[in-house]
Amino acid sequence: MLAEREEQLEALLVEREVEQFLYYEAELLDNRELHEWFDHVADDINYRMPRRLMRENTASVFSERGYYFNEDYGSLKARVERFDSEYAWAERPPTRTRRYVTNVRVTRDDEALAEDELFVEANLLVYLSRGDSEKHTFFSARREDVLRRRGDTFEIADREIRLDQTVLSTDNISIFL
Amino acid sequence: MAAGDKPSVTEQALQDARDSLDEGFFPLEFFHDENLHDLEMERIFGQAWVFIGHESEIPEPGDYARRYIGDDAFIFVRDESGEVNLLFDSCRHRGAQVCRAEQGNTSHFRCPYHGWTYKNDGDAAGIPQKSKAFKNLDREEYGLAHVPRLETYEGLVFASLAEEGPSFEEWLGDFKWYFDVHMKLPEGGMEVIGEPHRWVIDANWKTIADNFNGDSYHTAWAHGSVLDLELGGEETVGHAGTGDSLDRHIHCDGHTTSMRGFEDEDVFLTYPEGVVEDLFTKEDLSDAQWKLARQALSFTGAIFPNFGFLHFGDTTDDPEKDVAPFFTIRKWRPLGPDKMELWSWGLAPKNAPEEFKERMYKMYTSNFGPTGNFEQDDVPIWKGITESANGQFASSQNLQLNYQMGLEWMSEMELDDEWLGPGFAYSENLEEGGMRLFHEQWYEMLAGNDRTDATGTPMNVQEDQ
Repeated sequence: MLAEREEQLEALLVEREVEQFLYYEAELLDNRELHEWFDHVADDINYRMPRRLMRENTASVFSERGYYFNEDYGSLKARVERFDSEYAWAERPPTRTRRYVTNVRVTRDDEALAEDELFVEANLLVYLSRGDSEKHTFFSARREDVLRRRGDTFEIADREIRLDQTVLSTDNISIFL
Repeated sequence: MAAGDKPSVTEQALQDARDSLDEGFFPLEFFHDENLHDLEMERIFGQAWVFIGHESEIPEPGDYARRYIGDDAFIFVRDESGEVNLLFDSCRHRGAQVCRAEQGNTSHFRCPYHGWTYKNDGDAAGIPQKSKAFKNLDREEYGLAHVPRLETYEGLVFASLAEEGPSFEEWLGDFKWYFDVHMKLPEGGMEVIGEPHRWVIDANWKTIADNFNGDSYHTAWAHGSVLDLELGGEETVGHAGTGDSLDRHIHCDGHTTSMRGFEDEDVFLTYPEGVVEDLFTKEDLSDAQWKLARQALSFTGAIFPNFGFLHFGDTTDDPEKDVAPFFTIRKWRPLGPDKMELWSWGLAPKNAPEEFKERMYKMYTSNFGPTGNFEQDDVPIWKGITESANGQFASSQNLQLNYQMGLEWMSEMELDDEWLGPGFAYSENLEEGGMRLFHEQWYEMLAGNDRTDATGTPMNVQEDQ
């Protein structure tokens, strides 16, 4: 009984750690501290955003070949560093964003995971406001991450972003999700 | 007209503005106007050949995709006999839409309203309680309406809402010579990878038409970040009118392409040697077309009115990785004077190794589409033009945008007399004649004239010769 209780408490602590990391990560991205964010990207990362499909009988289906992002460490780094250029007009001035991370669930006993890795699912809502205008848009997505422990924090070892729109209502995607 | 709106451009104003294009001017307010949008939908998009999709998107019988011409929704579908159809998505009984998904596979489309059912070639198959309710209705007359004209060229499907008019072959004219180079260079042709990217932006469609009709001038400024990071070479992204590359702007029967390349070198858009050796073939190309492909580093171009393409070499997604080519085609679908939906496809040679096709698709998404390192920076600019065109000022001050680059009093601009292909090839890419050509055709079509009234000899050449 006591052992079971301890296990539950342990799981609760892990969930809290994961949530705090995701909130911290969201804050870095909202503040556009992209290099600090990139410090939490594992060098073997696969960062994907497949294209959602809209089909007659299936609620959630994604393209096998089509995507918006399919980045490794090098190409993700290039995308981060591009925004250091004074010619990266899409983010000059930066998009005002606010990320809401909810419905976080943590799985530990997945066979594909290493000892120090966690499988984390979450919902993400991003508010975006751009330019000298009242206009705004949203990205709504489900995220599936593999987070890896590194000291007292985590690094993102794998991320799949499953956007809810098939036709996007945005100029571009010049932020990280 | 809502209070505070500017008065719409009249047909008279349109006619009056026409002549100023010969001086290289085009009114800013034309990039945001309700009347013009309505005229464009009727006289351009109601007439022109508009891109629908590539056959490889619907390879099997029953495969379909919902596609649009202007405001009209169609079902792009391969029927049981393998034929490609374009059916108006509206039930013949009460007009409800019979296709709800973006893509899929079906033998029949069933109307959700009263259950009328159509085969995937459009024929009416079932009308509930017909013998009692519609006993004298001839089923054969009640199939889904087919688009009046549909043509396939190298797997690319185009359609026209007009019953009559120039054939697609006539519409494309000698520009086919250039497009053949892209589509026929690899043995087996090109195919679409995945599904098109689609996104809606608050910009007038003519802003992007301008951009694809030979805007070599913007690249180094709008895409300076790509240069800064060495994701694209100086010769691909660098300033127009500089460097040692073979730069040509080509105008041909109303369509345009701009290229960069290297004279007498084996460039082949930086396709890897293996692909060039195993796949590229002269079989369906003339010697001159082969030579063009061999020397080419990059191509940008547009087919009037709303089809664009980019076939680029020498770009990468990571400065540490090798460069690779990408090939993308797109359409811009006007949704209003200040709104359009962009559709963008990534292609690769059909018979290339899977790994290479994936790399080409990766290069496409890294550079273009909503997440492209180039394209991210274009769209907000086009949006800005549209906003500037919207208010009172553009109209009350009669602000004219300048398209004079390449006109004889502005630049030394020569035609390449030895050019190996059809049309007119400028020896420099510092010229804006492709955009003038686009707007000339736009004027002609809005006036109800034949587009080809504007597609002959470029205006600055007529002056000289």
